[in-house]
Amino acid sequence: MVSGKPSNLKSFKSSKNFNFILIFLCLTLVFLGKLDLVAIRNIKAFLSDFLAPATFALNRPVNEIAGVFEDVKSAGSLREENIRLKSEVRKLKVINSKSSSQELELLELRQLLKVLPEEKNKIITGRAITAPGGVFANTVLINAGENYGIKVGQPAISSLGLVGYVVNVGLKTSRILLLIDINSMIPAYLTNSNWPAVVQGQSGKLLKLKFLSSKAEPVDGEVVQTSGHGGRLPSGINIGKIVKSFSGKFYVKPVVDFQRLTFISVITNKPSGSFSPENFEGFAPLQKPKPSINLKGLNLSGKRIIEGTGN
Amino acid sequence: MIRNDKNFYLLYKFSINTSLFVFLFCILNFQISLSFFSMFETSTPSLISIVIYFCIVRFNINPPSIILLLTGFLHDIMIGNNFGITSIFLLLLKYFTNNLILERVNKDNQEEWIYFTIIFILSFSIVFLINLIISFSLPELSPIFFHVGITLILYPLINISINFFSFVSRLIKS
Repeated sequence: MVSGKPSNLKSFKSSKNFNFILIFLCLTLVFLGKLDLVAIRNIKAFLSDFLAPATFALNRPVNEIAGVFEDVKSAGSLREENIRLKSEVRKLKVINSKSSSQELELLELRQLLKVLPEEKNKIITGRAITAPGGVFANTVLINAGENYGIKVGQPAISSLGLVGYVVNVGLKTSRILLLIDINSMIPAYLTNSNWPAVVQGQSGKLLKLKFLSSKAEPVDGEVVQTSGHGGRLPSGINIGKIVKSFSGKFYVKPVVDFQRLTFISVITNKPSGSFSPENFEGFAPLQKPKPSINLKGLNLSGKRIIEGTGN
Repeated sequence: MIRNDKNFYLLYKFSINTSLFVFLFCILNFQISLSFFSMFETSTPSLISIVIYFCIVRFNINPPSIILLLTGFLHDIMIGNNFGITSIFLLLLKYFTNNLILERVNKDNQEEWIYFTIIFILSFSIVFLINLIISFSLPELSPIFFHVGITLILYPLINISINFFSFVSRLIKS
């Protein structure tokens, strides 16, 4: 079997036929896989679980070496990096002081308008076992699966924004389809103008904006977030920023660096009972805040707490 | 006695094929993990195709189709590809190497690279076409060009290093 070329014509022809049979079998499997049959999904999930430890162990040394290379590369630009970070910290301090006062104001207004309470989601964080190294597929495997309540369709995020969503779940591992994959489509909106659109991956670095109204005028650098349309993904998760290409077309540049994903969080199902429709009164006329509700930074009568005075 | 010989032969074949499978699996994993390097951020080179081509042309080892099929399946599962795509690519690579080119390769000169380029691009184009039909949309072409380009650039580098090692080993032996 492992010798050189087939010695006689008969065996040569039979091996050729066998090759074609196998290619045909694979082709059938490719189309069956596209039909998203439960059996194939389960086999994939089982094999992912089975292979995960070996993949992690074999990927680890290369990952470590790549880390060392990155460290050495960044060591040369430490001074510039330090200066940039210092200026960034100064800017962030200003933004932080503004945002804390705005947060209080927002809480007050939410309370006055009786806005639907934000539901708290359970977040599960797993370690990325593989890197997105395929030409045709951009997925990542994480080491958390059904055992942590992860289900197909749940959104995956990093500290910067949306990473993708879960497409396959095994007992101990889950596969996440990244935003940049050609099969990924996310309902989104432009934060400045509020125009809805669908963000689609192209297996490259930029995302395509689809179904955007012709009236919409995207601005270079405008933030794009999930719109929550369809109810699958929560709204308000950062996707990226608008960039204008040389041809004048608008694309979305993801905020997440997909090559450096180490930990990925999955937003699992919302806990039931956090909101009951009977209690919701809609946009009711302004009312005095109920004394029983204690908002952050406010006393029971709804006035701001000033430190040191005890009020 | 004859039965014993046959058993030994089967055992020998099994062990060789198993080692080949493990070797190809390790190469595939290495290939995937290359994306941790910022250089291969766009896409990784197809080391597995270089290895298979070398096995067939240089070392006269013809990997069994079943081994290639299984290796392809594992690769698809690991990176979340469409099930069977990599297997088709590997089987086509083997088929083209065996049937179209092998007869014409003159080992004395450096035609191997050109033949590898033809085989690789041909196999990859077929697989790319299948992917295109399945997904119904054209992906960004820059990662694909990078993948093909970096594989073709790496081929002579690996070839030179193999030649160097064989030269050194011959030198030590003599």
